[in-house]
Amino acid sequence: MKRLIELYGTAIAGLAMVLAFVVLAPNFASPGNLLNVVKDTSFLAILALGFGLALTIAELDLSIAEVASLSAVTTGALIQNKFDPNLAVLAGLGVGLGLGLVNGVSVTVLRVPSLIATLGTAAIARGLAFMETQGVAFVGRWPTSFTGLSRGATLGVPNLVLWLVGATAFAYGLVKWTRTGARMVATGEAEEAARLAGIATARMKRIGLVLSGLCAGLTAVLLAANVSSAAPNMAGDYFLYAIAAVLLGMTMFEPGRPNVPGTVFAAFVLKALGNGLVLMGAAYYVQDIMLGLIIIGSVAFSASVVKQAAFKV
Amino acid sequence: MSEAATPILSLRGISKSYGGVQAVSDVDLDVCRGDVLAICGDNGAGKSSLIKVISGAQPPSAGTMTLRGEPVRFGSPHDALQKGVATIYQDLALAPRLSVAENVFMGAELTRRVGFVHWLDKARMREEAKRYLGRLSVSLPDMRQPVERLSGGQRQAVAISRALRWNADIIIMDEPTAALGVRETAQVLDLVRSLKADGRTVILISHNMRDVVALASRVAILSRGRKVVDRPIEGLEPDDLTHMIMSGGERAGL
Repeated sequence: MKRLIELYGTAIAGLAMVLAFVVLAPNFASPGNLLNVVKDTSFLAILALGFGLALTIAELDLSIAEVASLSAVTTGALIQNKFDPNLAVLAGLGVGLGLGLVNGVSVTVLRVPSLIATLGTAAIARGLAFMETQGVAFVGRWPTSFTGLSRGATLGVPNLVLWLVGATAFAYGLVKWTRTGARMVATGEAEEAARLAGIATARMKRIGLVLSGLCAGLTAVLLAANVSSAAPNMAGDYFLYAIAAVLLGMTMFEPGRPNVPGTVFAAFVLKALGNGLVLMGAAYYVQDIMLGLIIIGSVAFSASVVKQAAFKV
Repeated sequence: MSEAATPILSLRGISKSYGGVQAVSDVDLDVCRGDVLAICGDNGAGKSSLIKVISGAQPPSAGTMTLRGEPVRFGSPHDALQKGVATIYQDLALAPRLSVAENVFMGAELTRRVGFVHWLDKARMREEAKRYLGRLSVSLPDMRQPVERLSGGQRQAVAISRALRWNADIIIMDEPTAALGVRETAQVLDLVRSLKADGRTVILISHNMRDVVALASRVAILSRGRKVVDRPIEGLEPDDLTHMIMSGGERAGL
């Protein structure tokens, strides 16, 4: 029983909360609203999966939101200027991957703690995003071949849901079933032990941070496609949500470790919570206060890898 | 018999200095296959420095090593491991929250390659981990349980199993019983006996003279960086060893 609560306690509490909204919050259970919650979960979960992969190798990536914003405006600029949408998407992903590599090199070669290195990358990305846009958003009637990435459906399933399923499967398969994943986990759990066992720990760290950047890039492309626009701070609101999703996810399924099912489920719970609160008439700032409490509470409860990563500075 | 007579590992004129401090001076040492060689000495006698050279953690300042008849130079502990010389670090080398199997196969996972992806073969790793532990006469019910739930002796067994996974035939154990209670110490002593029975060569660094007398076939004593004693253990009592360490090589009453 104790073990059950340890593994599933917060997941059950989250599920109970969602059910409470179904009963109490007007319109929460309507198909349209639930679909919106699920779609919004996709952006959040994909971004959070990246943060979780970085945390798997015991590094904090605080640049995810700014990197995503820069990726979005890069893609937006190309679409706006009538470039091939495929090229625009690749550029957005490339920005994420490139800045992830910058983070990786800063941490493993320049030996700057990730807490600091990624904060620096965040500032640079933010500056570049404002430089590209001169502070205004790219808005337009963008080609459906681009916006369809988020708004379309394949065989009746919304594309956003497919992206979420794909990203989740990729992250889960990588961490649980591949040699690289096992070595990333070993690096994050016990870096010295991994190094003594011959694991190229620096390389594993770069892989984790590059994947985090790539997830930010994918989130950005999907966000821009969904709203047919790109603004220099468009992913900012997802920052605390993504961190909260990973940390809350660490309280369930595999307590104390960043884990893929926990991250995705927590992302859904958080988005449902935010949506339910709004429908029940709570003021917008209640969400921030709630996120703060969840972040602190989750770490206090079981997120010991985070403590390790943050105290390395 | 001729095989036993050829040393598996030979050190000639090994010295190690740090800045102006001479930690190890001109040590010759031969380790034969199946030996359990104890390296003893007071604090600061040079045991750790010598072990760091043998395990590949640090290069010697001077001198040469020969492994299985070939000159050898270790670039890192992992390099030494690949050449069959494994060092068992107390707790440092295990990831406490990872499972027994994950720890045994860390850095040397069993995989099935499809395209460019190496997929983990978890079932086989659990089976093999069980087999390695069995060779050490240790049975654990579940290879999936995290190492942090094991006793100190069982953890040592996991660390040694990793050395067996690399097929190391020389196993260096640095103070293997230092942090352990009576029962766990007994477990570790059994592990060393199992290794010996399995034909492995063990180099043991210990402060505990009773352990040394119980396990070792030879003993080398260091004093101020020099080797002052190198002989079979037969006929020595723990008190003799203590006296030789304190006096820098002389044996009471002989």
